[in-house]
Amino acid sequence: MKHRWAMAIDLDRCTGCGACVVACSAENNIPVVGEEEAAKGRLMHWIRVNRYWEEDSPSARAVYLPVPCMHCERAPCEIVCPVYATYHNEDGLNAMVYNRCIGTRYCANNCPYSVRVFNWYDYKWEKPLDEQLSPDLSVRSRGVMEKCSFCVQRIRRVKDKAAEEGRKIRDGEVQPACVQTCPPGALVFGDLEDPDSEISRLFRDPRRFRLFEHLGTEPHVVYLKRRKGAGV
Amino acid sequence: MSGEHLLARTDEAQLFRDLSRSNQVTTWRWFAGMGILALVLLWGIGVFVYMMMTGMGVTGLNRPVFWGVLIVNFVFWIGLSHSGTLISAILRLTHATWRAPILRAAEAMTAFSLLVGALFPLIHLGRNWRFYYTIPYPNERGLWPNMRSPLMWDAVAINTYLLGSLTFLYVGMIPDLALLRDNSTGWRRRLYSILSLGFRGTHAEWRRYRVASTFFAILIIPVAVSVHSIVSWDFAMAKVPGWHSTIFAPYFVVGAIFSGIAGVILVMAVLRRVFRLEKALTPLHFDNLGKLLCTMSLLWGYFYFTEFLTVWYNRNPEEWEVFRSYGKSFLPVFLLMITCNFVVPFPLLCLRKVRRSVQAIFGVSLLVVVGMYSERVLIVVASLARRNDPFIWHNYFPTWVELSITAASFAMFAMLYMVFSKIFPIMAISEIKERLFHTTERSIGSATAEAIARVEEHGEGEGK
Amino acid sequence: MSGVVVIGLFDGVEKAARAGKALRSLPLPAGNITTISGVPLPDGAVCEDPRPIRFPRVIIAAWFVGALAGLGLALATYLLYPLITAGKAIVSIPPTLIVTYEIAMLFALMATLIAGALEMGLGRFKARKVHDPRIHEGKIAVCALVEPGEQARRAAGALTEAGGTEVRVEEGEL
Repeated sequence: MKHRWAMAIDLDRCTGCGACVVACSAENNIPVVGEEEAAKGRLMHWIRVNRYWEEDSPSARAVYLPVPCMHCERAPCEIVCPVYATYHNEDGLNAMVYNRCIGTRYCANNCPYSVRVFNWYDYKWEKPLDEQLSPDLSVRSRGVMEKCSFCVQRIRRVKDKAAEEGRKIRDGEVQPACVQTCPPGALVFGDLEDPDSEISRLFRDPRRFRLFEHLGTEPHVVYLKRRKGAGV
Repeated sequence: MSGEHLLARTDEAQLFRDLSRSNQVTTWRWFAGMGILALVLLWGIGVFVYMMMTGMGVTGLNRPVFWGVLIVNFVFWIGLSHSGTLISAILRLTHATWRAPILRAAEAMTAFSLLVGALFPLIHLGRNWRFYYTIPYPNERGLWPNMRSPLMWDAVAINTYLLGSLTFLYVGMIPDLALLRDNSTGWRRRLYSILSLGFRGTHAEWRRYRVASTFFAILIIPVAVSVHSIVSWDFAMAKVPGWHSTIFAPYFVVGAIFSGIAGVILVMAVLRRVFRLEKALTPLHFDNLGKLLCTMSLLWGYFYFTEFLTVWYNRNPEEWEVFRSYGKSFLPVFLLMITCNFVVPFPLLCLRKVRRSVQAIFGVSLLVVVGMYSERVLIVVASLARRNDPFIWHNYFPTWVELSITAASFAMFAMLYMVFSKIFPIMAISEIKERLFHTTERSIGSATAEAIARVEEHGEGEGK
Repeated sequence: MSGVVVIGLFDGVEKAARAGKALRSLPLPAGNITTISGVPLPDGAVCEDPRPIRFPRVIIAAWFVGALAGLGLALATYLLYPLITAGKAIVSIPPTLIVTYEIAMLFALMATLIAGALEMGLGRFKARKVHDPRIHEGKIAVCALVEPGEQARRAAGALTEAGGTEVRVEEGEL
């Protein structure tokens, strides 16, 4: 059963609330680095919400752009890892193998979207915060790269359940934490191999564009352009 | 006097004593110097262990500047290593008559700066203790390293260059080791006997030795060029604006030769002073090295201008933001680089007076080394700090951890050199003697000139 | 080769050349006469070396062996555990060329050292090789491999006549 997981982000609906960031951090055992480390540029968020100002004036509007890992078909991060710690798997995901990573950080340098984050320290979860850690994935040691995995643990759980029950995966059954949480429903996730899925429809939407499309990375995340005009 | 060669007029025993002074007498100053350097090195090692146990967070690195001073050091030391092999190899192949006193120190510099530089890819790893994942050995995981990664090309190339230049240094020393063996006693005699492999200087040995030396010189030049091209491809292969440029390979090679020649001049000036080698290392040698340095400064300026011109003309937004930052956040580094690489050295090195004065050319070479270091800082840091997505732009400044490790690398280089100069001949005594053997004084009219004989190859000359 | 070595020290190339000529006219085959000197002397100045230099062929062969080894290394790392990276082919040609080239150069460099040392006869510490440390004072030693007895005496005589000092007959090899 072949899959091609992809995500669409509707910029008309995104309010920049940041709930996706919080949900992702909760789901994926992502440490909270603290204010000082964040000021040094050491945030560990797997999905971030970029904020751009439309113009340099007091009445400028903010544009919000959630940026998860693009899971590029031609991922520049995969080819520069000297130890195959990141590669492309059969489901079209850019896989990250924490145990193999030796921390050269070349993949982070080669990602034009800068979605890869590095474990600068061994982060601690003081009791009782360690009870919030998800057992479905590891807590990464220092010196290891990590990034958004499209909540691969949830994908795997749904795949196992569907295989058990002897059926195909239904559209909308797999929901990464960010997609599940987004209050206005700006994030949509699904399988491009299913031609009737919501995501396949959105990939054909005339509003769709890819970030840094000219770089030829062929990302699996598309954005739906914000419509300008009255009331928006 | 015109027929007899200069070697016949030299007291060879005295020449030997003069040139091997570093091997004979060890003063308290050597021990004091080694002591201070050892302290710096030990401090650096301690800091490295601290970084390994605590995490890379103790450095100044961040997102997006994931590579900083440690990688700059890597490129810097590998660049310096291009000195010896290129000078030694090229001067050998072109039969440059002034090469003899420079060879050994230049080849040693190559070997030691390579040894130091090759450590940095291991130092900057996030999980250093798992470095062996990059070694292709059969393992139960069945996993092999990814040869498509420029870092693996680095591993292969630097390994080849390191083994090659160590061998080049060693083979170049064999006749001198035989000379030392015949002139020493005790543990030194035993060491030199083993290392000289029983070389005596028979006709058959010399003939084959010349062929081997020539082959080394021919082989090491393409290796040296390929090594720094591959180091440059660590950057050029990336999708980072300011890195992804086809000019990187020749640009880095030229920059490496540039910094390498400056390094050789620095080392030669120090050796000349410390071991009183004024008679062997004359202003003529510094003059010629200065001319080479002048040429490389011009070449470096040419390459830099070419790169700047294409980006400036095109104003491709991603690359232009990087170059714009040279005029803003990175202005001090940019000015330092331009001044120390071109604006000051090039005009000064055009002057004969500067080239012939050992102090002046020492100063200029020091500027060049500083300038080349800042050039690499600018390349590595500025491009990452102002890359594709403006939302995550962030500046970088090294912390005491990185600076300590940098200082320790300089200390290690100096220590390796000091130990080498104590045990091994830092002057290529056999080559110097060979030059004197081929040199006669010829009178042309009322003037006298030095004539250097070269044995004709078969086929040269007019139908004999 | 059975025989003894007759060796004498000479004060300059001209005297050594006369000694070389004298030894050749004894007659002695050119391959049995050699010099030991602190600087290399041009071929034919005092003696000739008729044996061809063979080890460059080993160096060239080693380059090709190294190229094959590099190719094998690259192909093995690709094919033993094929993983897709950046949508590139599993067997990527440009990196293969780089690795092949580097390993080839490595093998060639090591072959230069090893084959060169072997052909020079270096590293044979047990052998009794004739040597005189006074060559480092500017003297040139001329030596010849001779039959013990009559030939040795004639050779020694020729060396002494040509102006040699410390002429002696020793056990050992050239």
